[in-house]
Amino acid sequence: MITLSQRSVIALLCRVILGVILIYASIDKIVHPAEFAKAIGNYNVLPFGLENLLGIVLPILELLVGICLVLGIMLDGSAIIAAGMMIVFIIALSQAMIRGIDINCGCFKVTVENAGQQVGIRRIIEDFLFLGMSLMVLSRGERKWELYPKS
Amino acid sequence: MITQLPIGQIIVIAITSTVLSLTLNAVRSDGIPLLAEELAVAEEIEHDAAEPRLLAITLDQALEFYQKGTVFVDAREPEYYQEGHIKGAWNIPFFLELVFKLDSLQGKDAPMVIYCSGDECGSSEDLAYELQAEGFSNLLVFKGGWTAWNTSGHPTEP
Repeated sequence: MITLSQRSVIALLCRVILGVILIYASIDKIVHPAEFAKAIGNYNVLPFGLENLLGIVLPILELLVGICLVLGIMLDGSAIIAAGMMIVFIIALSQAMIRGIDINCGCFKVTVENAGQQVGIRRIIEDFLFLGMSLMVLSRGERKWELYPKS
Repeated sequence: MITQLPIGQIIVIAITSTVLSLTLNAVRSDGIPLLAEELAVAEEIEHDAAEPRLLAITLDQALEFYQKGTVFVDAREPEYYQEGHIKGAWNIPFFLELVFKLDSLQGKDAPMVIYCSGDECGSSEDLAYELQAEGFSNLLVFKGGWTAWNTSGHPTEP
């Protein structure tokens, strides 16, 4: 049986790792918004050119949620947003795979030099793993090592 | 486990990132328009060479270019190309090699038609923008791509 304090340590690990991954994933997208918007556009799921808006907002959201997770700020909210993002990513990746469209993932790197990262089952498994980590943060036992809110 | 949805926190994070990202996009020099614009369709295939263009073309226009001997570039992965492609189309996965070959064989102002699998792929458009950045000035993206070409019975190989 896992004790409460063990659960807290696992949740802490999950949130720091997930946070760092989100921050890392956001950087290349923030640096190259046009390329990231095109990568979203290639999925062919958004109407009216909305890929640009998502391409602008999503990386900053990833960065912010990543920072919140690492520092322990508004953990419930940020873990839920992280879980929501992972579910959206899993759906987007799966539909691309099912429709057989061969596109660049746009997951971590979006520039031409890194176009080798194609959509594939590995990316989906990764996102399930990240989803699990967000749920671990949500189900953490005690509220320790958190900056805000304290209680 | 949390018992109720932390709606307040979600809203705070969502609004903060929206405001931050839109502000950043507005102030940075390489910001992008809030909504993506579709590539305009070419009105005619004849063209004044002094004016750079990057346009979409229809199947009929693609056929006209084909009959005039314009270079076709297949932007798909090599395995799709090997399964079947527009007759005579190039498929060069290494970007710099493609740039070199296009430049040395026909120069940067000559027309070229770029395609991928069909309406739903974006690699032809991506490649067109990359070539534009390299100084190529007569770029035509055949949106219907391989699917439209193949189903209408135009020349293919192998």
